[in-house]
Amino acid sequence: MHESTQGKIQRAGFLRRAALIAGSAAGASLLLGERPTEPAEAQGAAEKRALNLALLVEYTEASFYAEAVRRKKLQGELRAFAEQVSAQEDEHVKFLKGALGSSARSKPAFDFGDATASGDAFANRAAEIEDLAVAAYAGQAANLSKATLEAAATLISVEARHAAWIRSIVGRPPANDPTDAPRSADQVMSDLKRLGLKG
Amino acid sequence: MTMEGFCFRKLDVDGALAEAVDRAGAITRGSFLAGALGVSAAAAVADEAVAQDGKLGKVDQGILNYALTLEYLQAAFYTEAERMKAIKGDVRKAARKLGSVERAHVKAFQDVLGRNAVGRPTFDFQGVTEKPRPFLKTAVAFEDLAVAAYGGQAANLKAASAVAAAVSIYSVEARHAAWMRYLFGLNPAAKAFDQPKTKSQITQIVRSTNFIAAPPKTKRKRAPSFTG
Repeated sequence: MHESTQGKIQRAGFLRRAALIAGSAAGASLLLGERPTEPAEAQGAAEKRALNLALLVEYTEASFYAEAVRRKKLQGELRAFAEQVSAQEDEHVKFLKGALGSSARSKPAFDFGDATASGDAFANRAAEIEDLAVAAYAGQAANLSKATLEAAATLISVEARHAAWIRSIVGRPPANDPTDAPRSADQVMSDLKRLGLKG
Repeated sequence: MTMEGFCFRKLDVDGALAEAVDRAGAITRGSFLAGALGVSAAAAVADEAVAQDGKLGKVDQGILNYALTLEYLQAAFYTEAERMKAIKGDVRKAARKLGSVERAHVKAFQDVLGRNAVGRPTFDFQGVTEKPRPFLKTAVAFEDLAVAAYGGQAANLKAASAVAAAVSIYSVEARHAAWMRYLFGLNPAAKAFDQPKTKSQITQIVRSTNFIAAPPKTKRKRAPSFTG
């Protein structure tokens, strides 16, 4: 089989991302050994931070889709996507709030501007938000205890399904690379602000 | 030495990836799904985490070998579909893309596992790679299966770096599942939560397809140390 130049570039990207996973996905101390499984104080704090970041991402998604559905500017496939995904993100929010209990952060304010006012704008923003959700979970997975990751895994893949779905609708590659690159908590925060987070 | 020894970093040392991608269609080497499951059961009993020297622990080896076997299955399926040339248009483009990605996953796991990597079984896809609808239907099943398998194992990995890497592959499998479902006309994300499946559930499903025609003829260089 002849390998295309594009294939080579993609593989090189995979290698860089793999190194990135090693370097940034988890805290440096975690990389030196076994993932903590005992419920220690520090780990509890790290896990809560990770889950609250995930909750913030899910709040963003849920608010974005709720607004898009409310404004009724979407039609056809996009509308069906928004309605279904909106309900699913609500369930994710509920799930994370349940996992965090009294430690759950409150819902912030959002301003999505014109991103919910037309099909094209909606689709672009939705694809960005879903890709970010996937990257955020990839970045936080190693900060979760075994039981929490087991539970969280059930929604991580659904975020990836949403990402591929909206990309399919708008004709973008649903899955470009062999791995989804993780993003750090700081990167996720700055992306969320760019995408509509105000509070 | 740190866990970075495990973290796929060595992949970019020798550019061996392209070579293995070319080999991926050969389907000749190694072990077999049942073997992988046997290995991981033994490893679970040993309950050994990451060794002090930073090498991959036996529990993680077992899980990654299980993932490798599923990646072999997917890679062989898409590679064969691509070679059959019976599939056209968007579906063909998707098959090409997925083939290259699954082959990259195979290579990554092989490199991480080194001589402990299970080998490749012989597959017989029984004609489903020769027509668009059976191909897509099987692709949907494989990708949903991969999602359920990774979802069931990611949290069992001991090394933080292994968890991070597995999750970054897990989400790609979920993207594939949604993509294939979209092309097939199914809801790409039917539920708010994906239900994981255990190894024995996955094994049973794979066996029921009869797609694995024969276990591998030879081990990869030598038997893994933890089998004997």
